[in-house]
Amino acid sequence: MAASRWVRMGAAAGVVTIFLALVGLIGGFTDVYLIGDQITFAGLMLVLPAFAAGLVAAAPRVEGGERHEMRFVEAITAAAVAGAAAGAVFGATMILADVIGVERIRTVFLNVSPQLMEFVTFGQATLVGAVIIVVMSTVAGVLGGALRVAPTSVRRPVTVAVMATLLFGFLQRVIPIALDQLKLERDWLYSVSFDGLTWIGAIVVGAVAAGVSVLKGRFGTQLRGRVAGIRGRTGPAVSPGVLVAGVFALALLIAAPMLLGSVISEVLGTVMVFALLGIGLNIVVGYAGLLDLGYVFFFALGAYSLALLTGATLNAYGIPPDPAISGHLNFYVAIPIVMLIAAAAGVLVGAPVLRLRGDYLALVTLGLGEMVTVLVGSPWLVPLVGGPSGMRGITDAAIGGLAFRDPQRFYYLALAFVGLAAFISWRLATSRIGRAWTAMREDEQTADAMGISTTRFKLLAFSIGGAIGSLGGALFAVKIGSLTPASFQVLVSIQVLGLVILGGMGSIPGVLVGALVLVGLPGLLREFEEYRFLAYGAAVVAVMVLRPQGLVPNVRRSRELQDEERAQDEWAKAAEEGETPPEIATATGATT
Amino acid sequence: MAGTEAPRVEAVRLSRFEQLPWRRIILVILGIIVVGVVGIGATRTLTLGKAEGGYSAGAWRDFVVQGAAQGAIFAMIALGYSLVYGILRMINFAHGEVFMAGSFGSFFFADAYEKSGFLDRDPILALLIVTAVAIGVSVGTAVLLERLAYRPLRNAPRLVPLITAIGASLFLQNTFRGFFGPQPYGYPKPVVLAGNITVLGVPVQRIQLLVLVVAVICMAVLQWFVSTTTTGRSMRAVAQDREIASLMGINVDRVIVTTFAIGGVLAGIAGVLYSLTFEQVQFTMGFKPGIAAFTAAVLGGIGSIGGAALGGFVIGLLQAVGPPLILTGFGIPSVFSLKDAFVFLVLVLVLVFRPGGLLGTGEAEKV
Repeated sequence: MAASRWVRMGAAAGVVTIFLALVGLIGGFTDVYLIGDQITFAGLMLVLPAFAAGLVAAAPRVEGGERHEMRFVEAITAAAVAGAAAGAVFGATMILADVIGVERIRTVFLNVSPQLMEFVTFGQATLVGAVIIVVMSTVAGVLGGALRVAPTSVRRPVTVAVMATLLFGFLQRVIPIALDQLKLERDWLYSVSFDGLTWIGAIVVGAVAAGVSVLKGRFGTQLRGRVAGIRGRTGPAVSPGVLVAGVFALALLIAAPMLLGSVISEVLGTVMVFALLGIGLNIVVGYAGLLDLGYVFFFALGAYSLALLTGATLNAYGIPPDPAISGHLNFYVAIPIVMLIAAAAGVLVGAPVLRLRGDYLALVTLGLGEMVTVLVGSPWLVPLVGGPSGMRGITDAAIGGLAFRDPQRFYYLALAFVGLAAFISWRLATSRIGRAWTAMREDEQTADAMGISTTRFKLLAFSIGGAIGSLGGALFAVKIGSLTPASFQVLVSIQVLGLVILGGMGSIPGVLVGALVLVGLPGLLREFEEYRFLAYGAAVVAVMVLRPQGLVPNVRRSRELQDEERAQDEWAKAAEEGETPPEIATATGATT
Repeated sequence: MAGTEAPRVEAVRLSRFEQLPWRRIILVILGIIVVGVVGIGATRTLTLGKAEGGYSAGAWRDFVVQGAAQGAIFAMIALGYSLVYGILRMINFAHGEVFMAGSFGSFFFADAYEKSGFLDRDPILALLIVTAVAIGVSVGTAVLLERLAYRPLRNAPRLVPLITAIGASLFLQNTFRGFFGPQPYGYPKPVVLAGNITVLGVPVQRIQLLVLVVAVICMAVLQWFVSTTTTGRSMRAVAQDREIASLMGINVDRVIVTTFAIGGVLAGIAGVLYSLTFEQVQFTMGFKPGIAAFTAAVLGGIGSIGGAALGGFVIGLLQAVGPPLILTGFGIPSVFSLKDAFVFLVLVLVLVFRPGGLLGTGEAEKV
């Protein structure tokens, strides 16, 4: 019975591997070296599902609210079975593909190439290759299982070490540049011939990461206790780990463009624009709980109104638009006007849709966002916003003679605005307004009954969120220097929503992390550009199913979610023991 | 605390200005503007002479037929949204991708049959096989979606499944892009379906006639299925009250999967019809028909089968007739490039003025 479960897990992992191969994440990356000239990204993708299957197969099972821990031998067996099953499924598919003929499959599935076949068969005959795959998958499964049953003191450092090594492997275009800038030797860490980490580098990175993890495990709790002792009861207890991480992150944010040069600063500038959008949307979605899928509306509004106010020209005619609607203002004069327009637009858009429940609101806003996309690109509005060919010649945000279009300088400009917006957003969250939003988000009717004017606070959320979003749009316009409707697709709304969700709704550091992961990583890893939205979709679904509070959760939000879970647990436990569940007990208690 | 006076709560006094029913006033003003714009635009278009860009009676007739055929496809997709919404109270945002999956899956068969000449030799059998493939792929996608993405979230707060659905939609689109590439493929059309046919004195494209007939049959079958079969009755029971239905011995999970599968069947058929009409498939093709169909479902009153059908036809007609009728009068160039904006405008207006839909209760659920 148990064995069939393991086989099923393994088979699922095998199907995932097939999926990765069909999408092109294996065949297209056989020459992206992560560690040494042996471990490629393609190789990692080939064994990762089997590894994960082993990990899951060896995990303690929860059945009827009871945890069943596995004994060591049983766990390893489970993991081996799962891994082997994954390998068998993939191997069988390989043989099948060989029988049908790679070229024939290729007319449908573009990524099934001879190169892919050669890689997965290791240059051997297909049957031999399939056997190797089964053996490798079994080993990967066993490793996964072993990691799962290992005591925490072993599991944690090993996990951290592996993750850190892989991260260094992935950032092979980024870290060497920083080392060069710092005039540090890099050839021992990254290979000159195949770009990836050298084995020595990998071992050093892994060892350092494991060491840090062990030290943190040993002294972290102690240190935290001591800091708490010094502080006594004054002020909120910020754990030293968070403090150190925060200071380190801030230093890194400030130093980044100088370390990484202008190509990467360009990407980081985009990250900051999206962080700004994220902070704005976070107010609407995270604080006030209003799901807005048309946030691109404010992004476009900011960009285009800045362009109009500062005297950009229409690409179609090469002249500025009608002077009645355009001006020649300085960037810093135009910004407050842009934000005011956006805030007013937020109220105008918000007012008619206030009464709508969450999912309907989402679709109305989606509709509004899409309308903006269609309108700015329509031939009708060419004299106003340039239509399909857009506008160019947008002013630089220069202060005196100091220009900001250079990617490194632009980054600092954007960072300053992000800091400002983050500060405002943080102060708002802890203010009376923020508490009203929280109350409204959790239960609108109750909030209304407690005397919170939900109308007013919803509109406030829309207009503040909109103003920050328009700021993002304006900065984007300055960064690019020209506008085309292609930059204002619905995908922008979904991207911003994705980064807010990944980071954790209601959490400002979460927005930054989300922007770095979802906008920064695809920008830095050029090879993966094509897979960016695939990863986006997968990340959003995975976060919602596995970790709804996000990567860097808002403390209150995650506490609420935990409370809910605990309440459910109690209910389940009571039901298990044949007692009346607490809810019903109190209800009957009240009536008798 | 005894002895101290209870703190007095002061009533918040609203000024006269604040007491005004602002929401209603805004809605009325908005309504007047909409009616005015539509009225003025329509009269001006209809009074335009041929030389000034006016349309002949024949052109209007073509718009209507085209709109009805489009609407029939929208209606079939809309039923998928409506059925799922009726049972789970969630918007399956990825349903447009279920439709896309069916079209894409069937394309490779249609293409092969065209190359071998089977499609023109025996178009009925070929199209039946192609449609079966489309149904298979769509149902598979819909069921997997339910199993992997939505089932774990069945009791989560309402917005969580919606966000998941958006993620799933993006994921599915890009899966197909990864599998088959970003380029559009030309969808073959059997020779029998090319050209016009005259029905009751009105020239109709053959493909449009096929679309209309198939859609009406599908909806009739669905109506019969839901109202008479045991499965249909259990679907309605689960839609009314999931817990009670499960107490009555209905396997709720199975009913939900069945619902997704039925949505998939309709989306698959719609996918083939849509591809035959537009002769093209691409990984992004699901988004716009998906939104139009969702609008149709809401317009008709989400959760009701008749409503989805009605809404589909209305949206199709509005999209085909609306832009030339209303926008031409204002001298706007290339009105058809704005037809998607038109759908969204309708969506917004419906949700603002009549969130319950045409056949709905008229009042949106609050909270």
